[in-house]
Amino acid sequence: MASATRPATVRERVAESDRSVGRLLLVAAGALFWGWLAVSWVNRWLGGVLVPVGQPLVPPAAVEATLAGIPVLAAYAADAGFVVEMTPDLARGTWLTVVITGVSLALGFVIAVPLAVTRVYGRFSAWVSLAYTELLRGTPLLAQLFVLYYGLNLASYVPDAVSGVFAREVVWVAILGFTLNGAAYQAEYIRGALESVEEGQITAGRAIGLSKLETIYHVVLPQGLRYAIPSWTNEFVYLIKYSSLAGFITVPELYYRADQIAAETFRYTLIFLVTGVMYLALVLTASKLMVRVEERVAIPGLGAEREE
Amino acid sequence: MSDDDFLRVTDVSKWYGEEQVLHDVSFEMDRGDVTVLIGPSGSGKSTMLRCVNRLAEAQEGSILLDGEEVLSPDLDVDELRREVGMVFQGFNLFAHLTAVGNVALGPRRVLGLSETEARERAEDQLERVGLADQLDSYPAELSGGQQQRVGIARALAMEPKLMLFDEPTSALDPELIGEVLEVMHGLVDEGMTMLVVTHEMSFARAVADEIVFLDDGRVVERGPPEQLFERPEEERTGRFLERIASHD
Repeated sequence: MASATRPATVRERVAESDRSVGRLLLVAAGALFWGWLAVSWVNRWLGGVLVPVGQPLVPPAAVEATLAGIPVLAAYAADAGFVVEMTPDLARGTWLTVVITGVSLALGFVIAVPLAVTRVYGRFSAWVSLAYTELLRGTPLLAQLFVLYYGLNLASYVPDAVSGVFAREVVWVAILGFTLNGAAYQAEYIRGALESVEEGQITAGRAIGLSKLETIYHVVLPQGLRYAIPSWTNEFVYLIKYSSLAGFITVPELYYRADQIAAETFRYTLIFLVTGVMYLALVLTASKLMVRVEERVAIPGLGAEREE
Repeated sequence: MSDDDFLRVTDVSKWYGEEQVLHDVSFEMDRGDVTVLIGPSGSGKSTMLRCVNRLAEAQEGSILLDGEEVLSPDLDVDELRREVGMVFQGFNLFAHLTAVGNVALGPRRVLGLSETEARERAEDQLERVGLADQLDSYPAELSGGQQQRVGIARALAMEPKLMLFDEPTSALDPELIGEVLEVMHGLVDEGMTMLVVTHEMSFARAVADEIVFLDDGRVVERGPPEQLFERPEEERTGRFLERIASHD
């Protein structure tokens, strides 16, 4: 305990303040990004109460003029103005990326849990689950999307009830593709976690008269799903990025919009640099969020042996 | 052997693959009896215990519990386990639930009590094992002795007609054994029917109505503790008890 009372060295104090400055910058950047996204969405949803729909939240000319007045930044003023001009499109694309990722992830989870459970505890169904997982993980996601969109022409079968949710039916096809594919990957992560739940937990559940299924539901899943969070976060992060494949079946998400802007303006480097920052913001948010979730649902002693 | 034995085990045999681990094991108990299974490790005593609530499946023989054939293929094992409590060597507490959560799960999900009723029952049972001050602790926050007492409370909350103890103190540090044995003594005094696998010979001697000595999957000898401990008829029994005594 001596170390707890020892005064921090200068180096430690510098490192500590570096960390807090870093954290502050990260929080500020996050607030700016999500603020921009949210305000853009509200503005569009309310039919342009703040600025006309399709216009940037701040006038590009003003940004350009401001930067031009700052000596070190003057050289980038024109680029900045251009990027600001593109923000309405980028905001719409980013928003769609968020929705596609979130919905696919949630629906995929609903499928993944039973898949993982049957894989670990089923007999015949374990083989069905294995076949599904291997098929979906073993073939290219882009090929799966092409089969759903071009091959099966699923966009024309989207039920009327939900076809109006998005501007175009093809968004549902993308969500279906990511759900089915993501479920296979999520199931793999959850399966690994379920297998690490001790056998004695199941024995104890059965011994008080719970059925096998009840034991899985009340004992195995609450523990296994907590174990699964860190590796499951990988799937979350991957899905954000490979949702860009939806662009190849004409879903106007972030990548698709960026590609269109670039094709029209030939500003490839700049546009994809900015787009990269958008994806980075989404990914960082996702991983920070999952760390929070993990802390929130943590139980003393549970999973401690896994961290060793 | 009377017809109204509460538990009657007759010629139970069990194989793991090719290896026979139980050979025609027989014994019986009355309601309120305490029977202690003793024997060297690997003698099949834990396996025998687990056959009674079907955590292990005996291939031959008969186990009648309160007149019902436990080994019948038509038996609802969940129904059986509702009435037979079990305490494990490794505690096996549900790691994600507090002490109350562990004890309340069975009453809530198996017996169908309401959330409040289940919690009340769990609190009562934890109080019974002396853990009224640890209701909301997680297993990892409890000592081994406390964990095992939660394990006992968890089994008791189902109001079982028979309690099975599978080496309940073997995983405990010596200084923690006493508190668990004390709880078990209390159950004996309340008249609980108990089938116990243990190496605690002084406990066995003090509370058992009958001791069953198993070796190599066979009942070598059985009888009241004073007879088995003072005048064992079989040489193997004597040798085993001497070995155990020298470790005490």
